[in-house]
Amino acid sequence: MFTRHVEKSLTRYCDGELSAADRQRVDAHLATCPRCRTALETTRFSASAVRQLGAVSAPPALWHGIEAALDEPRSDGIRMGALRWAAACAVLALVAGSAYWWSRDLAPRPWEVAHATDGSTRRMAAGEWVETGGDSKARIIVGQLGTVDVAPDTRVRLGRVSESEYRLSLARGTISAEINAPPRLFIVDTPASTVVDLGCAYTVTVGDDGAAELRMTTGWSALEWNGRESLVPAGAICRTKPGAGPGTPYFDDAPEAVKAAVGDFDGGRDRAHALDVIIGAARLRDTLTLWHLLSRVDAPDRGRVYDAIAALAPPPARVSRAQILALDADALRKWREELAWQW
Amino acid sequence: MLRAYRSLPMEEAAARLRLMSQVGVGGGEISPGILDACRRGDREAFRALYEAYKDRVYSIAFHFFHGDVDAAGEVTQQVFLKLMREIRRFRGDAALSTWLHRLVINACVDRTRRRRTDVVANDPVVLDAMPGGALSHEESFARREVAASVQHAVATLPAKLRAAILLRYFEDLSYSDMARVLNCSIGTVASRLSRGHRLLAKRLAPMRSREM
Repeated sequence: MFTRHVEKSLTRYCDGELSAADRQRVDAHLATCPRCRTALETTRFSASAVRQLGAVSAPPALWHGIEAALDEPRSDGIRMGALRWAAACAVLALVAGSAYWWSRDLAPRPWEVAHATDGSTRRMAAGEWVETGGDSKARIIVGQLGTVDVAPDTRVRLGRVSESEYRLSLARGTISAEINAPPRLFIVDTPASTVVDLGCAYTVTVGDDGAAELRMTTGWSALEWNGRESLVPAGAICRTKPGAGPGTPYFDDAPEAVKAAVGDFDGGRDRAHALDVIIGAARLRDTLTLWHLLSRVDAPDRGRVYDAIAALAPPPARVSRAQILALDADALRKWREELAWQW
Repeated sequence: MLRAYRSLPMEEAAARLRLMSQVGVGGGEISPGILDACRRGDREAFRALYEAYKDRVYSIAFHFFHGDVDAAGEVTQQVFLKLMREIRRFRGDAALSTWLHRLVINACVDRTRRRRTDVVANDPVVLDAMPGGALSHEESFARREVAASVQHAVATLPAKLRAAILLRYFEDLSYSDMARVLNCSIGTVASRLSRGHRLLAKRLAPMRSREM
């Protein structure tokens, strides 16, 4: 079969698509044929050249066009509105089913705390404190929702337990929570803000001054205080201080300049310069920070923040600059929902 | 002002996380649950599907059309619109990615038939990040030159050969998967690749001689 030149088989040979027997025959021919060896090198060269082409990210605005086209009435009489109704019904059924499931399985039960040092487990009542020393740790079992690991030198108060809420208060130290529950069922109070779980894993640390730092591992959480709220997705950090509430969230992998400028902005140190730095250095992902700043900057600066976000990811159809500058809640929500795909 | 949104992100975030975890972003096939939700017209499920595959679809079209972002965007939109509108007919006999690849290639070839001006001015080409840290300005420039040559050489191939070359060496599909996508025999796949290599070799000859 391979007594003649093997050029026609070289692509399959290179790509590992020849049988073992055919491969051996090609090997034998190549050993004695300079012409086919040259052809083989050429094939390998062009294959490796194409393999160097890199992946390209689709522009964020593409989705808007798809969504707009999906919303247009179809000539075949099938309207997307009907599909949306079907989806809404499915969601309602899911919510109703979930509510039944949770109400059935999450009957109130006492806190269960395991001490890592001696392996002992004890049940504790609401209002009791879990305290760890410099070399001890503990684990709080949060019903069937998950666990909270308590780091050394930490003080946590066990709070209310009901079908709709599991609540802890972190006075000092660090806890790491891993929760698999419907949103808002697990809540941690800190001296500066309240961490509301939206289905996630995170670590929160409270210092002696009551300031807290939330680091999200997976999922989302909301930090809330006095009507001020920060949404914190996986990979992001948010700091909060007593009397000031949740700061501006930022991604851990954000440029150092952005991270430092967020600290300055939240701390009230030369906010104009800090805003310049954030706007100048923000990446697409840092629209998390910019979106939160829309409602935190003074009105004259809001247009600049809008322009910075729009340059990275334009707002969806039917969301106007005027609406955003007026802090229209619905417009802000729509834009955030779009941006969140990049967070 | 922020108080107004307090109740909004919860269900949305939870649903999105649930969807994204089922889609299996970053590789693999999507779960039957997501497919069912898409068949029911669930926009969030479809968005999750879009997010999982959009860069692959866009990249194929981008390189097929020599870095023409308008063409790549148009093809990507066409592909996902068709996917959403016809997903109820998808029975799952083949992998969704096979169907998606077929949609992309068909859309690219159709567009080529409609417009005979394939090779157009383009944005900078993209090469995979090179291991070993940051490149010097000269290295970076050289790599962009190489990338431009490769992209141009690929873009000037006849459409069917271009599709085969991109599916094999950019998307890393096996010959049997390519045969399913291109609706031809494995022998035809090998033949198209072989012809593609010959043409690419000619067009990349200057670059190769510089390297050697």
